[in-house]
Amino acid sequence: MRKLLSNPLVLIGFIIIASVLLLAVIAPLVAPYDPDAIDVKAILLSPSSHHLMGTDGLGRDVFSRMLYGARISLMVGFVAVGIATAIGIVLGAIAGFYRGWVDTLIMRIVDVMLSIPTFFLILAVIAFLTPSIWNIMIVIGLTSWMGVTRLVRAEFLSLRNREFVLAAQALGAKDVRLIFTHLLPNSLTPIIVCSILGIASAVLVESGLSFLGLGVQAPQASWGNILTDGKEYIQFAWWLSLFPGLAILITVLGYNLLGDGLREAYNPRSSQH
Amino acid sequence: MMQIKHNQYQLIKLALSKLVFIALFTPLMITACSDSSSSNQINNKIDYTKSYPPSNGGTLIDAMTGEPSGLIAMIAGESAASAIAGNIFNSLLRYDKNLELTGELVDTWDVSKDQKTITFHLKPNLKWADNQPLTSDDVLFTWQKVTDEKTRTPYGSDFKLVMKAEAPDANTFRVTYAAPYAPALDTWAGLHILPKHLLKDQDINTTAFARNPVGSHYYKLEKWKNGQFLKLTRNENATQGQAKIDNLLSRIIPDKAAQFLELSADNIDSMGLNPIQYARIFPARPDLNKNIALYKELGNSYTYLGFNLKRKPFDDVRVRQAINYAINKQEIIDGVLLGLGEPVASPYKPGTRWSNPELKPYPYDPNKAKALLKAAGYEDHDGDGILDKDGKPFTFEILTNQNKEREMTGVLIQRRLNDIGIKANIRVLEWASFLGRFIKPKEFDVVVLGWSLSLDPDQYSIWHSSQQAPGQFNFISYSNPRVDKLLEAGRLELNPDKRMKIYHEFSKILLEDSPIVFLSAGYGLTAIHKRVRGISNPAPPAGIGHNTYEWYIPSAYARNEMSEH
Amino acid sequence: MLKYLVKRIFWMVPLLIGISLISFFIMHLAPGDITTSEASFNPKASEESRQKLRELYSLDKPVIVQYGLWVKRMATLDFGTSFASHQRPVFWQTKDKDGNVTLGMIQEALPITLLINVLSLALIISVALPLGVVSALNQNQLTDRSITLFVFIGFAIPGFWLALMLMYWTGVQHAWLPISGLQSIGHENMNWLAQTTDTLKHLVLPVFISGITGLAGISLFVRNGMLEVLHQDYITTARSKGLSENRVIYGHALRNALLPLITIFGLSIPGLIGGSVIAESIFAIPGMGKLFYDAVLMRDFPVIMGILTIGAVLTLIGNLLADVAYAWADPRVRRGVVQ
Repeated sequence: MRKLLSNPLVLIGFIIIASVLLLAVIAPLVAPYDPDAIDVKAILLSPSSHHLMGTDGLGRDVFSRMLYGARISLMVGFVAVGIATAIGIVLGAIAGFYRGWVDTLIMRIVDVMLSIPTFFLILAVIAFLTPSIWNIMIVIGLTSWMGVTRLVRAEFLSLRNREFVLAAQALGAKDVRLIFTHLLPNSLTPIIVCSILGIASAVLVESGLSFLGLGVQAPQASWGNILTDGKEYIQFAWWLSLFPGLAILITVLGYNLLGDGLREAYNPRSSQH
Repeated sequence: MMQIKHNQYQLIKLALSKLVFIALFTPLMITACSDSSSSNQINNKIDYTKSYPPSNGGTLIDAMTGEPSGLIAMIAGESAASAIAGNIFNSLLRYDKNLELTGELVDTWDVSKDQKTITFHLKPNLKWADNQPLTSDDVLFTWQKVTDEKTRTPYGSDFKLVMKAEAPDANTFRVTYAAPYAPALDTWAGLHILPKHLLKDQDINTTAFARNPVGSHYYKLEKWKNGQFLKLTRNENATQGQAKIDNLLSRIIPDKAAQFLELSADNIDSMGLNPIQYARIFPARPDLNKNIALYKELGNSYTYLGFNLKRKPFDDVRVRQAINYAINKQEIIDGVLLGLGEPVASPYKPGTRWSNPELKPYPYDPNKAKALLKAAGYEDHDGDGILDKDGKPFTFEILTNQNKEREMTGVLIQRRLNDIGIKANIRVLEWASFLGRFIKPKEFDVVVLGWSLSLDPDQYSIWHSSQQAPGQFNFISYSNPRVDKLLEAGRLELNPDKRMKIYHEFSKILLEDSPIVFLSAGYGLTAIHKRVRGISNPAPPAGIGHNTYEWYIPSAYARNEMSEH
Repeated sequence: MLKYLVKRIFWMVPLLIGISLISFFIMHLAPGDITTSEASFNPKASEESRQKLRELYSLDKPVIVQYGLWVKRMATLDFGTSFASHQRPVFWQTKDKDGNVTLGMIQEALPITLLINVLSLALIISVALPLGVVSALNQNQLTDRSITLFVFIGFAIPGFWLALMLMYWTGVQHAWLPISGLQSIGHENMNWLAQTTDTLKHLVLPVFISGITGLAGISLFVRNGMLEVLHQDYITTARSKGLSENRVIYGHALRNALLPLITIFGLSIPGLIGGSVIAESIFAIPGMGKLFYDAVLMRDFPVIMGILTIGAVLTLIGNLLADVAYAWADPRVRRGVVQ
């Protein structure tokens, strides 16, 4: 813990994430306007005391949309990573614990999944199911569990032969007990690190999807789609690009700093210089 | 210790120096090997207000978001293909600046007494770009190709109505229809005539001619670099005379933001603008206004809200009219188009003879909307703010494709419907999915889409009750026997005045029935660099593009082509 | 070793079939086909002609039959022709009876993407390596923290945002670099030196944008690898033997720390052919990313399957090479157990 806190970058990351989360949670209390309130007389106004971050192409207050957009962008991260981690833990544990043909099978499935384009899946989903962001999140989750699987498997493979595990086995512990009480808790840190970094990636993926028109749908606001809306006016309505761009930058940075710091602190091999 | 630190500094220096190197190298590369005059700083010194007489020369550079798949328009189909092919090929007829039909390859034409036969008289001594003579044989050949079952063209249906086509002599082409077909002349204004001598032994679907065409219009293809640009250059044998500008260069730039940057840096001469760029950005940027002129013209399409007439409650005309009253169309024009558009009440271009001047769009009247809905059984019985009938709330989905303006229109409509108690949700879909999954199987409630404002008044394929099969254009399933009769009559009537009366009547019924809500017709907004002269301003009914061959670039303003980008 | 190789290569065939089958079916999951986008919604276009097109491309047959037809063609390495681009060959150029050569789509797009990716990789490595080493040598001090912060910022910036801002700054405000495109207009008329410079000028921004995201990963990787190695016993031994610090760091530590980098290379081989759709779209670069994206939107099945197949093959080969190279390079592995 001390090691963790001694890294100023981790502190910065933590502060950033905490602030963003806080703002996202209290958005309805803090937002000065309804994020969907259109005002055709107030189109593309620059930041002022009335509109802290200006207005967009339909006269909606950008600051309010940014606050609500924080909820969306973060939620995409959490849900997608949640799904990916859940799948990854299950598959990775099975592969790492039982090894043999189960392991080979799972690893080959990982290979296949890595060769299939997520892009298609996303298009198909948007067309077929009700186009809530839930479905995009599910798809991102369903296509990014491979990294966690590999990680968990590697941890299990190495931990499996440690004395405490062998001892427990000798004492007659059942497989499930071994996995959940012994192996998994000790693999927790890399999983957490992976998840935190995954959230950061998911936020970036959402902004990329918005650029292609496949992200969160109108009229809902997300940082990605506010940024995309403003890209044709980047020389003029700079506020439409600057604020969401910075928001994405800072948030992703925060998650990365925290995740990396965690990895540093709990890595038994990197002892003090 | 000291040594370690020293080496580290060396490492850092190494890394940073690489970044700095790259940062410096690039301007060095530019200054060393080019005398580029593409920077705004140099540009600002040139005075573009001097007037010059017309002269030949120069290159006009514009940008396209998509790339043509081929230059044989009947096969390629997409707008990028027809735009470029339109500079290479001629049709028999064309529309002049007042949107009247006039001859292009044709001098005059006669319609027979029974109105079933049209005889076209070609101009004499027409040539292809490769110097071969252009005769009625080529026209006949083109007609055979477009009606050939083996040709993969979706545009054959109009031409298949021709029972007999003949080329009695080199300058005469005659077609006979089974019945009088009023839109016929319009179709002949849209068919690019192809050279028989180059295509007769080719499979038109796969021929290399599509990527290396030979035409007869002002320009010929000089170079096509896949994914990058198409360059057209002067055709010395052009049938219509010579254009003033030597070369047309179309750069393929898929992203509109990048296009605008290129326009700002004077790397392209012309670009289509959206309302915000036209009305907000340009006025705020004196540096842009100095060198770039803006043009406005009545656009070629209208946006509408279409109901699925096979779904309740949209089969009830009161509901449709109510929604029509509930939508504030001026607000849409002001909000989405920033005032750069006009309301329409019929599918025709305002100001043309087909547009019925007596018709006015439904005014914004939420009270009347509510009254109509009440008469149809919709009231807020349970006090939740949403209208309901038989216990079911009035809620539906508005579908549209990935088009910013349509999206914004949908949002505004949603809000206005919300005001009177209708809960509408918007769903934006990618085009192919939209058509395949929702339009074709008619799985939709309401759509926001657009149709073009046709030059020929025939609207048969969109409104006739026989055109409702999956994949056909009457996908909203409109069926009105009076309209059917009018549409059929309109196709047979060649007299313009009588025709006009038919379509005025048709528009009137359409407005009363309100199967769609006419929302807006946006203006066409273009930015063209001031170096390009000869543009008609204000634009005539046909738009500023009607006389591109008369545009010219004075040599004082021509770019230095070698180093230009 | 040989047994291992054979087993892996043997596995590739069923894997490829599995990947292509799943990809094919997923491709058909998204509704619509080429006929729903081409010339559609032009009231002049008729449904019968679209139906004819569907029959011609076998789109009206069941998916499994279409898959069979595709496999049959692929067995002769015929990637087919594009639905959307007027019958252009998907992979390699063809010559028709009159001697006209039509260039293949992948043939044109792949070199561009490869060039950008290779340059980007070179940029990343040349910057990330020293940064990573310096970070490791200054663990937890200001230098290390600053470098970490810097590379993370590079990762966290949304690519298209940075791209547009740089395009504006370097292309509009100052005429330092071209804004978009691959080549200038008079490119063919230049001598080879000017041509190379011209292309490179156009690639500066795209390569920079692609590189700045990968910087974080590699430099951290190098840093952590170095740290792990520096604390090993043999390093202490080397130092106590009296070797100069330079020799210790570069001669021993770095070399061993870089071993895992080989795995990274192997795994990034399939990535070399994948262009970024966003970067290519913004910079108007006709590479593999844009080719794939357009094919998806147009439901151009032959092109999609062509790219997926090549990608799958490269992924499998890349993984194999990475594993083998690592096994070879690490003497511990080479001598002992291979799996």
